[in-house]
Amino acid sequence: MKKKIIASLLLGSFALLSANSFSTQADKDRKALQAYFEKKFADRKNASTYFPYSTKDELDNNFKWGIKGDEFRLGSYAFDKGGRAQHDEMMDMPPFEDNIDNGKELYEKTPGMKKCFPNPAIAGDYPKFVKGKGVVTISDAIVSCAKDNKQKGWKLTKGKTADLEAYFANASKEKGKKINVVINSKEAAAAYERGKKEYYTQRGYLELSCATCHVQGAGQRVRNDILSPLFGHTTHFPVYRLKWQGLGTLERRIKGCNKNQGETPHKPGSTWTKELIYFMGYMSNGLPVDGPDIRK
Amino acid sequence: MKKIFKIAALAVMASGIVYAGSDLVKEGEKIFKTKKIGNCLACHAANGVKLDGPGSLGPKLQGLSAWPEKALYDKVYDPYTTNPISAMPAFGKNGVLDDHQIKAVVAFLKTIK
Ligand code: HEC
Ligand code: HEC
Repeated sequence: MKKKIIASLLLGSFALLSANSFSTQADKDRKALQAYFEKKFADRKNASTYFPYSTKDELDNNFKWGIKGDEFRLGSYAFDKGGRAQHDEMMDMPPFEDNIDNGKELYEKTPGMKKCFPNPAIAGDYPKFVKGKGVVTISDAIVSCAKDNKQKGWKLTKGKTADLEAYFANASKEKGKKINVVINSKEAAAAYERGKKEYYTQRGYLELSCATCHVQGAGQRVRNDILSPLFGHTTHFPVYRLKWQGLGTLERRIKGCNKNQGETPHKPGSTWTKELIYFMGYMSNGLPVDGPDIRK
Repeated sequence: MKKIFKIAALAVMASGIVYAGSDLVKEGEKIFKTKKIGNCLACHAANGVKLDGPGSLGPKLQGLSAWPEKALYDKVYDPYTTNPISAMPAFGKNGVLDDHQIKAVVAFLKTIK
């Protein structure tokens, strides 16, 4: 009898293994994160737990409650009514239209691009873990394709790369694509774990972690800026930022946030940045691709 | 004659000390409000102080005039000593603010009712 139970338990775990044991932990993390944010923004009643220092006025009048799933792709505009109104107004005449057009032209005219990316609707499939190379973000993939084809002037943070990403994101959005980051090897799972650890590590002389601001801090304010949740962060890049007066990739944004932590920014092409983005990407799995977008 | 000089000098010194007190408060207020130095307002509103968009990661500061100076100094130097899970940076321990700057900030905090 006992033996039978053990045997069936073993069989059970084998079945799990074949389903993809490498992403078991990441799937758990992602579900827990979504549940945390949905609970946090569910109801005005819980505000004193999650937003102990927010003003009564903003909680009563500026917050939208009951935010769920896909809505988190909007970052802080999911729950900040004032920011959302400004955002929607700007979206009437999106400042990134020319970037998408330019990206399309770059796609068609840059030697090798079409060969590297036969299908442009792939924004949600990155970052990928490639055996022998490690994590490859969409910016990495574009820049190395350009290099392999002897093209100059492609950077990981802005310019042509961001424009091409805008075209890819837009094509993915039009096709209704979702974020679909895959972890399918032991090495990939290890890269994910390293990225996660970095995300929760306090850094820089201010000893702030990404999570201080974008997990616990989400919904609270740094000065006038309402902090957005990690869940949904990678859905809408590249982003047109008013501060930049232009388009930037996720790599560019992270450089800026490293500075917020009082840290000398890590290089955009570094393993550190790539693995962090791998973790962030997985946390947004299943959400719709929604780039490019506008942020303050 | 000499004596008068001495008294005058003493008076200047004494008033100097008084001024140093309020200068210290001003210096502390500047550190509190300046992004590149203390940037305390990134997270804190302060009772009775006009600030341009204070944040809400930390509590609105109030009643600090009643705190002992040492408690305020310790909070700014290293908040983890009193609150191990504080989201507030350790300004002294991590060398963001030096001893004099923390004293200036404390002088300013002492004016918050
Ligand atoms: C001191 C606070 C702070 C820390 C620490 C911080 N950020 Fe941010 N971050 C901000 C602010 C403020 C914004 C702009 C408002 C917003 O959208 O959240 C922002 C925006 C972002 C965005 C864009 C969100 C969007 O919807 O487009 C991403 C992505 C991001 N941060 C990632 C990170 C990562 C990764 C780290 C750690 C390496 C980090 N941040 C650390 C303050 C911080
Ligand atoms: C990144 C956010 C952040 C920054 C920047 C920050 N604080 Fe704080 N502060 C907090 C948080 C969160 C708390 C509440 C938890 C605690 O007491 O440690 C706090 C608590 C305090 C308290 C105790 C208040 C009370 O009523 O218990 C004082 C005093 C204080 N901070 C002063 C300062 C000063 C001065 C500066 C700048 C030199 C500063 N803080 C910068 C986040 C911050």
